[in-house]
Amino acid sequence: MTGRLHQLPLLGRPQRTLRVARARMPQTTPGKTPRPPLWYAIALPQLLGIPDAQVREEKLALLARQLGQLSGTVSVEAPDSLVFEARSSLRYFGGIHSLRTHCRQLLQPLLSEWGLPVDFHQAASPTPAASLLLARAGCNLLVHRRENLRSALGRLSVQSLTLSQQRRQQLHNSGLRLLRDVWRLPAHALGQRFGTQFLRQLDQCLGHVATPVKAYESPPRFNSSLEFDYAVEGSERLLPAIEELLERLCAFLRARNLSTLHLQLSLQHEAQAPTLIALDMRHPGQSRAPLQLLLETRLSTLTLPAPVCGVQLEAWRFKSAAAGTQSLAGFSAGEGAAAQTGPARIAPLLGLLQARLGDAAVHSLQCQADHCPELATSPTPGDAQTGRPPMLALQARRPCWLLPAPVQLQQHAGQLLYRGPLQLLSGPERIETRWWSGQEVCRDYYVATNPRGMRLWIFHEREGERRWFVHGIFD
Amino acid sequence: MPTHQTDPRLLSLLHTPGLWRGSAHAATRSAFADSGVSTGFPALDACLPWQGWPRGALVEIITPLWGIGELQLVLPLLQQISQEGSNSVWFAPPCSPYAPALLASGINPAHLYVVSAPAAQLLWGIEKALQDAACALVLAWPGRVSHRQIRRLQLAASAGNTLGILFHHGALRQSTAALRLRVEATRQGLRVEVLKARGSYRQSTVALAREAP
Repeated sequence: MTGRLHQLPLLGRPQRTLRVARARMPQTTPGKTPRPPLWYAIALPQLLGIPDAQVREEKLALLARQLGQLSGTVSVEAPDSLVFEARSSLRYFGGIHSLRTHCRQLLQPLLSEWGLPVDFHQAASPTPAASLLLARAGCNLLVHRRENLRSALGRLSVQSLTLSQQRRQQLHNSGLRLLRDVWRLPAHALGQRFGTQFLRQLDQCLGHVATPVKAYESPPRFNSSLEFDYAVEGSERLLPAIEELLERLCAFLRARNLSTLHLQLSLQHEAQAPTLIALDMRHPGQSRAPLQLLLETRLSTLTLPAPVCGVQLEAWRFKSAAAGTQSLAGFSAGEGAAAQTGPARIAPLLGLLQARLGDAAVHSLQCQADHCPELATSPTPGDAQTGRPPMLALQARRPCWLLPAPVQLQQHAGQLLYRGPLQLLSGPERIETRWWSGQEVCRDYYVATNPRGMRLWIFHEREGERRWFVHGIFD
Repeated sequence: MPTHQTDPRLLSLLHTPGLWRGSAHAATRSAFADSGVSTGFPALDACLPWQGWPRGALVEIITPLWGIGELQLVLPLLQQISQEGSNSVWFAPPCSPYAPALLASGINPAHLYVVSAPAAQLLWGIEKALQDAACALVLAWPGRVSHRQIRRLQLAASAGNTLGILFHHGALRQSTAALRLRVEATRQGLRVEVLKARGSYRQSTVALAREAP
């Protein structure tokens, strides 16, 4: 079967996107039946005490990664259990009891680190569904043969199956308390009364129907380092090493068809804590040149506290590298040029500016529907734009420049002064808002001009000291 | 015109490469004519050899102080760029641009990025933005700039085919920028003086009316 793999049709770009998930077929030797698998389930009811589902999933994933040392197929069964195939590892670990000891040694340190009880339930049987059921019910059982499953499971309550509330009530009303009671009834009648889903669960437990198991795959993580024979001073001497590490990273990304959004470069010193350089990309990168440009730019602004004896590059947040959309009428030059404009096109430039000037140096403007002038615009870091700006129906003209804070106007003999005596051109426009927030805005706005030709947006407080302020400059 | 064709001495003089003829001015104009972007002010367009703002070049706008209406000169350009969906980057503006006003003038603030940086890093950023073809317009308030810096920015602008507009108070007598304008406020509006326009020897002054507030 494996020999015929090359005859399968390949779609897409084989060198970049094809990934062989599992090419190995189960080996069958003529005259010898393969031994049935043994599924080892671990139930951790203490995890149910964690209120946040995401935290719980992360913890389960960490435990699953530990179990990866015992078996090639580990499955995460939310919310509180793990299942792994144990038959293939039995001989290596020297039997099921030794495997159990290993299992405890792997999981207990993590559990005690999280401050959770270190005990857990475990069960092993020829089907993953039965093992899970036994472990979740707290029966620490080992069932070797499929024929014995029925009697082992018979003692469990029907409520341990995953059922809807209505179905549970229905079973309870029928007087069916244990699985043993259910098995006494004819199968077709059960199907009619409780639905095929219920029957299917029972069949999966007994191994009449195969249970699909989704093997846990640990998320990719890139970590590569280079050590120098002698300490290096000056950031430009590090560039060849960084180039080499980035080349490795790009090979890693290409092999998995991923692109990265976040990099961390650590420069190791002999007697000090390493210097960390975290780089957030504005757009996912897969090729070396732009990543190198960003890192070089960041390095050029850095003064190293000590000579560097090694560099390490890490990346753990990835995105699948999707090819950009191409217009159907790609041959039309005008259309192609229009498609390339917009925020996506400028992202590399903004990334470069941020790498050198700092993340806070670049911001875009956002318009907000608010009557209070200083709250109607907000600088947004980076280009985090949420859709279209709100279209405000502005009757009155607004100034193009708004001062960071209103500046109080001087007065001389009743004449307002700002680089010369002011003359009112139009107004007033009354803005009265935010009385609910305690910072009430109650102002009369005017347009004024001074002898130097500046046109100013000034306001008069309607309450309190009734001072005059300049708030904006028109153009 | 038939006389000089017969005179061989005049003919040889006319073939001298160093000689510039007034009639060539019109030819230069027509060669430049469709290379520009309209400023939105027909009177100003008529004074400029490109019939508007040049492309891939550096422009200096010199004002005695900020806020006398110099932004009004570039508002039509910003509007056009915004409609095309292109981006503009503003370096170290004297105040924060006010998004509702820009929106009311037909400029989408989503295509506008403001970069603030210390003076030492600012010119580096302006150069990078000018070199990048993704950025259609760079507006910059760099403070004091030298001949060498302007020359470098001009080269960057032509490399990236980006229009760069520098606003400053004008300490330099001359520069290598493609266009230099001096803007002053008058009672009626703005007086724009073309100090230098590459490809033209004309020095003209235009009066533009300011939009009533």
